[in-house]
Amino acid sequence: MNDYQPTILPADAGQKDDDIMAAHSLTGTKESPLVILEMLQRLRVRDVMKADGVVSVVRSDTLHFAQNLMKRNSISGVPVLEEGRLFGIVSVNIIIKALEGGYIQDPCHKHMSTSLVFLEEGMPLALAIKYFQNYTFGRFPVLDKDRKFVGIVSQRDIMRAILKELAEELARYEGKKPAAATVPFGEVSTSAYTMQQYPVVHNDLQNAGRAANEIKRLLAGAGVDKKIVRRIAVAAYELEINIAIHSVGGTLTFILDGQKVTIIARDRGPGIADIEWALRDGTSTANDWVRSMGFGAGMGLANSKRVSDKFEIKSVVPSGTTVLCEFNLKKD
Amino acid sequence: MTMMIEDVVKTLDGKLVAGADTGRAVGAVVANDLMSDVLLDDSDDILLLTSLASDQVIRTANIIGAMGVVVHNGKPLPEAMCQAANNFGIPLVSTPLAKYQSCVRIHEFLSRE
Repeated sequence: MNDYQPTILPADAGQKDDDIMAAHSLTGTKESPLVILEMLQRLRVRDVMKADGVVSVVRSDTLHFAQNLMKRNSISGVPVLEEGRLFGIVSVNIIIKALEGGYIQDPCHKHMSTSLVFLEEGMPLALAIKYFQNYTFGRFPVLDKDRKFVGIVSQRDIMRAILKELAEELARYEGKKPAAATVPFGEVSTSAYTMQQYPVVHNDLQNAGRAANEIKRLLAGAGVDKKIVRRIAVAAYELEINIAIHSVGGTLTFILDGQKVTIIARDRGPGIADIEWALRDGTSTANDWVRSMGFGAGMGLANSKRVSDKFEIKSVVPSGTTVLCEFNLKKD
Repeated sequence: MTMMIEDVVKTLDGKLVAGADTGRAVGAVVANDLMSDVLLDDSDDILLLTSLASDQVIRTANIIGAMGVVVHNGKPLPEAMCQAANNFGIPLVSTPLAKYQSCVRIHEFLSRE
């Protein structure tokens, strides 16, 4: 008996990170196209996908049945689903070939495409758009983290979501309604979105730490709670010093987005072979010169993780390391 | 007993070299030359006692919101360090004492009724 489990081509993890970082590697203010970039990062596939009432067939349904279903619902493809498990997709091309070949009464499982490219529901919209650019498919199935089918997303779904968001952004800038992302910190409000990127040079301990101090100043000026400012500043400082000490150079990116601050430290190598080891307190590869400047005690990554609400690290030898620290701006 | 920066200067036979008195009292004392360790302390209004004379000390002090920095053994303070202290408004004190002596004197001061 044939096994109909589809060949699923997972998203390239490196590409995902690169795309997110590419979008974050620009500088600007809320008036710039960054508003759109930010929107494409903020919106996730799950926000735009069609989840309810997805039309589907089972493996034993005929292609003719699938054809009628597609015609009735004006869609160009239909997923083959059984109990939440995705087995394949029947597209309009498959139907055309079946009509030409005279096998339209065959069951779907004989001809459906099983080499599937899917999107994950948590992916940013920016990445989903890349998929539509890179592949010729008109729609992608969407799976959750357990690889269960949760919906389907088409280019039309994405266009609709973007237009809706843009209309809302426009209304905000025209002052028709307050910015949704503007939240009060005590008595003070911040603007919806600020991003700054700072270069960090290898071995430049004379300047390392300037970015973190600038970030602290920005946050204090925005009226963010002092204790939270300190945690963010500590993480930014540790990461900035880490780039200067341990890498060939990189960037520190600061994003203030409504109720959330994200610090992204990205370097160009040499990468960390054993991340767990690097995260342990007291582990360091710093040289004596660095130690003489008061750094290199091996606490940097562990301390950044300690003060963050969310901490992620990804490293590839020799191409580099990306560390992401997130902070909620609600008071502790 | 509450200890202000002018008390620190007097107690340690020191001199206010840069920065201004911000009117903040000593909340905690951290004596360390490892800035990595200093960053681990979550106390408020830290008075940082160190033997390290560099502008990185001032940047670290600013990150943790220190109320003042004391450099020991009468070390010459680089211009960049003084400038950073002025920029951030962090009182920078120079003392001829060793760090341990400073710790003892500050402890005695803070222990007074």
